Amino acid sequence: MNNEQFNNRNVSEDGYFQVEIKDYPTTGWDKFKRVVQRTFRIELFVGLWVVLREMIVFNKHTISYPEEKMPIGPRYRAVHEMKRLWESDAERCIGCGLCEKICISNCIRIDTKIDENSRKEVSEYTINLGRCIFCGYCAEVCPELAITHGGEYENASDQREHFLLYEDMLTPIDKMKAGAQLEFEGFGAITPHEDERVKKTPLAY
Amino acid sequence: MSKTINFTIDGQPVQAQKGESILTVARKNGIYIPTMCYISKTSPCASCRMCVVEAQGVDGFVLSCNTPPTEGIEITTNTPALEQERVNIMKLYDVNHPLECGVCDKSGECDLQNKTLEFGVAQQNFTARDQSREIQDWGLINYDPSLCILCEKCVHVCNEVIGDDAIEVKFGGYSSTIIPKDAQTLDCTFCGECIAVCPVGALVSSDFKYSANAWELSRVPATCVHCSAGCPLEYETRHSGINGEDSLYRVKNNFEFASLCGAGRFGFDFENNAKKDEMVFNQAIKALENANAIRFSSMITNEEAHILQLLKTKLGIKLFNEDARKYQEFIKAYSSVSGKLHHSGSLESIKQADAVIVMGTRIASDNPAVRYALTTASKHNGAKIVYAHPMEDALMQNTVTQLMKYEVGTEEGVIALLANEILKDADLPENIRSYFDDLDLGYLDAESNIGDEELSFMSRSFARAENKVLIVGSDLFAHERSDNIAKFCAMIEKYSEYSLVIVPTEINTLGVSLICDLDADEPVANVVGYNAQGDFTIASFEDTDMAVPALNQQEGTFVNIDNKVLPTNVALSFDGYTLNDLAAHFGIESENTIDYTKQLSKEAGFKSIAFDSLENFLSEFGDDTRGYVLDEVECSAADELDELEDLPEFNGTVIYHCNPVLQFNAYTNKSRQLEKDTTLRGSAQFAAAARISDGDRVEITFGSRTITREFKLDSDLKGTIALNPTFDDVFDASRYRFEKSKIVRVVHE
Repeated sequence: MNNEQFNNRNVSEDGYFQVEIKDYPTTGWDKFKRVVQRTFRIELFVGLWVVLREMIVFNKHTISYPEEKMPIGPRYRAVHEMKRLWESDAERCIGCGLCEKICISNCIRIDTKIDENSRKEVSEYTINLGRCIFCGYCAEVCPELAITHGGEYENASDQREHFLLYEDMLTPIDKMKAGAQLEFEGFGAITPHEDERVKKTPLAY
Repeated sequence: MSKTINFTIDGQPVQAQKGESILTVARKNGIYIPTMCYISKTSPCASCRMCVVEAQGVDGFVLSCNTPPTEGIEITTNTPALEQERVNIMKLYDVNHPLECGVCDKSGECDLQNKTLEFGVAQQNFTARDQSREIQDWGLINYDPSLCILCEKCVHVCNEVIGDDAIEVKFGGYSSTIIPKDAQTLDCTFCGECIAVCPVGALVSSDFKYSANAWELSRVPATCVHCSAGCPLEYETRHSGINGEDSLYRVKNNFEFASLCGAGRFGFDFENNAKKDEMVFNQAIKALENANAIRFSSMITNEEAHILQLLKTKLGIKLFNEDARKYQEFIKAYSSVSGKLHHSGSLESIKQADAVIVMGTRIASDNPAVRYALTTASKHNGAKIVYAHPMEDALMQNTVTQLMKYEVGTEEGVIALLANEILKDADLPENIRSYFDDLDLGYLDAESNIGDEELSFMSRSFARAENKVLIVGSDLFAHERSDNIAKFCAMIEKYSEYSLVIVPTEINTLGVSLICDLDADEPVANVVGYNAQGDFTIASFEDTDMAVPALNQQEGTFVNIDNKVLPTNVALSFDGYTLNDLAAHFGIESENTIDYTKQLSKEAGFKSIAFDSLENFLSEFGDDTRGYVLDEVECSAADELDELEDLPEFNGTVIYHCNPVLQFNAYTNKSRQLEKDTTLRGSAQFAAAARISDGDRVEITFGSRTITREFKLDSDLKGTIALNPTFDDVFDASRYRFEKSKIVRVVHE
């Protein structure tokens, strides 16, 4: 994704300009004058002409949601995703429960157990989106970069409680195999040149 | 001669008692010396070498944990050289330690984690070829050798405090591990104390493994309810599932000073679930209105007992509790001689003792805390322990120095012989001296099978002892001659230096016996059972007419073996009705059950302290600050003993009502993790006498009851007495624990 549009913070190019606003009329006579002026000036038709012109040339300034959608920033915090490991396609979540602990709206529930390979397995993981305030603490605290925020912001529901299950959040295995898993670039994400900082265990035997 | 030693630590003048190490003194004075392997309740392991200090005039470093100070020595705990030494030790501990803190059960409360951060070990500087180390599944306990740091705490507690001596270190340099002693797999009483003391995640509870993390669990300080010791423990709860209802995950304790048996540690999930059902409530009210009596067990709090007593006066009904009544009578007889209501000994006095007599109880299964105290006394003070009982106990064989095997039923004779031996040089009143002079010792010797030489051997081995304790148990309460036995016990306590510990049967047998005015149980109509059998039962167990909260869902107090009033707290909530709600209907109103804590009878020694003012923790030096000790109550006393009766004989197949280790009651029976061995266990000799063999279904008839059980041959047992468990059955506490029984093999059609 091209981040240019988000990274350009230089507002001075187009420049700010001051809007001239006249003082509000205070006397009755001034108020009457303003009404007359507004009623009989052609500014109304200027506005109508702009609309008519744009209708004729089809130069639209809005997008037709839901067919079209605005691109959103990589750090946007929408519905959570559970990532997989690139090297093994295995789930990244180790079930440490820190997300549940840190969650300030108390909407995450995690249960873990020991699986048949004596590994820690997440047996139940739910997020109640009806309570979630999308603060991003869960993604921030996650030691494995497992839970992240995705770009899926359309979670309208016909009921207040809306539960997200682990399976729904997990990157689908076919998407993973296709290498299409997107990394979250928000807070807590790996910074560039991380590899160079890794301290290796000596193996001099 | 002064026993205190004056010296300085880091320039601060301190005092040591004789026998204290530098480390203990430093801790008492708030001076920090880091340790990895030190645990206060055992002798120093001295394996971590992290507690090194410098002593003036001594070359090299000194281990502060096992070195006593000398007069005037100057100790330094913090120099750059010491710091370097400690950092190096930490670096070595961290070599190849698996980086699995994210999933490890110990993470968040791990000594290794804490110390690694404390000493700033951020990378691995040393190398060693890692080895394949298999995770060992030892039943309730899991051992992961790759996480083990070989601090040896587990081995020390198992050997010195518990007495199972079930694990040992297999030495082999870097490949050293902990292994079961002389066995393929762990064969012990599964107290789980090794799990508690393990500073890392090497020894963990199999049930808890990977189910929650330390930082998610909230701790509720409480008192264990399974036996009369009332050990301190903490229930750990956490919400689970989508609805986030609280559930119990595990039990922990202050392992630095206190111990827990497996029932306390693994048998915590006995909570009861119920909703408020008005119809059932009205039925209960009706049942109470029509009741002639309430039969209840001693597994209740003091406050509940108080409510029951108030109900008794209000409704004019009887209160049945044979267990507490027998205990009450025993204490009454005891008081009639001793002139006071409470026995003098405690678990602490057993730990400090160097000579102990245990009589009339299979202590390892009746009250494991007493067993652990005996083990501590034996290992730390070299205590001589005489175990007087008709049956040997394999669990006690490492601790007991002298087995005094008497014939079943002859307890009165045995205590008379013991009293005669102990009090032979005592300054007795004239009538008691002549009573002892008139005893027919030959007859008692012959009938009880306690020889003269056994008694004199005991006296000889106790000759140099300073702290002596006599422990008597529940075999004696329901004995036909329990009154006189109690008087003998009181005589020994009164006229010798022995302190006395009377081991109550259940958690609150003692409390109930102090609070309630009990009637002898009789088969009357319309009995309401409260945690006991009745025509209408109100209980916290399954299959009852009305559910009430279990003891981990209630707040209240118990009185334990130490005569201490111990508070317990609510670990899990309960939505149904309580006894207090029922009592309110009869005009005995108070907002909460614990409002009665203040009102408990002063005549029995209770203090007027509100529940919320009771503390429930051990201090940082291990002082038990929980609750309070009952005030001593003076009674009128007379030095009188009854004439001995002829000693009874128990021939043929005798059963002994005794639970297997870790099983105590309906609560432990409900617990998911504890083994439920409901078999009748007997020796090969018993099998031959009863003409049954291993695995047979047998019908056991004793008194007016007949029950069916499977028979199991137990190679640890000897003689013609079999053990009949009571945790899954109704135990009639009014009967002597040994029963003549008829055993018939059930033939399958």
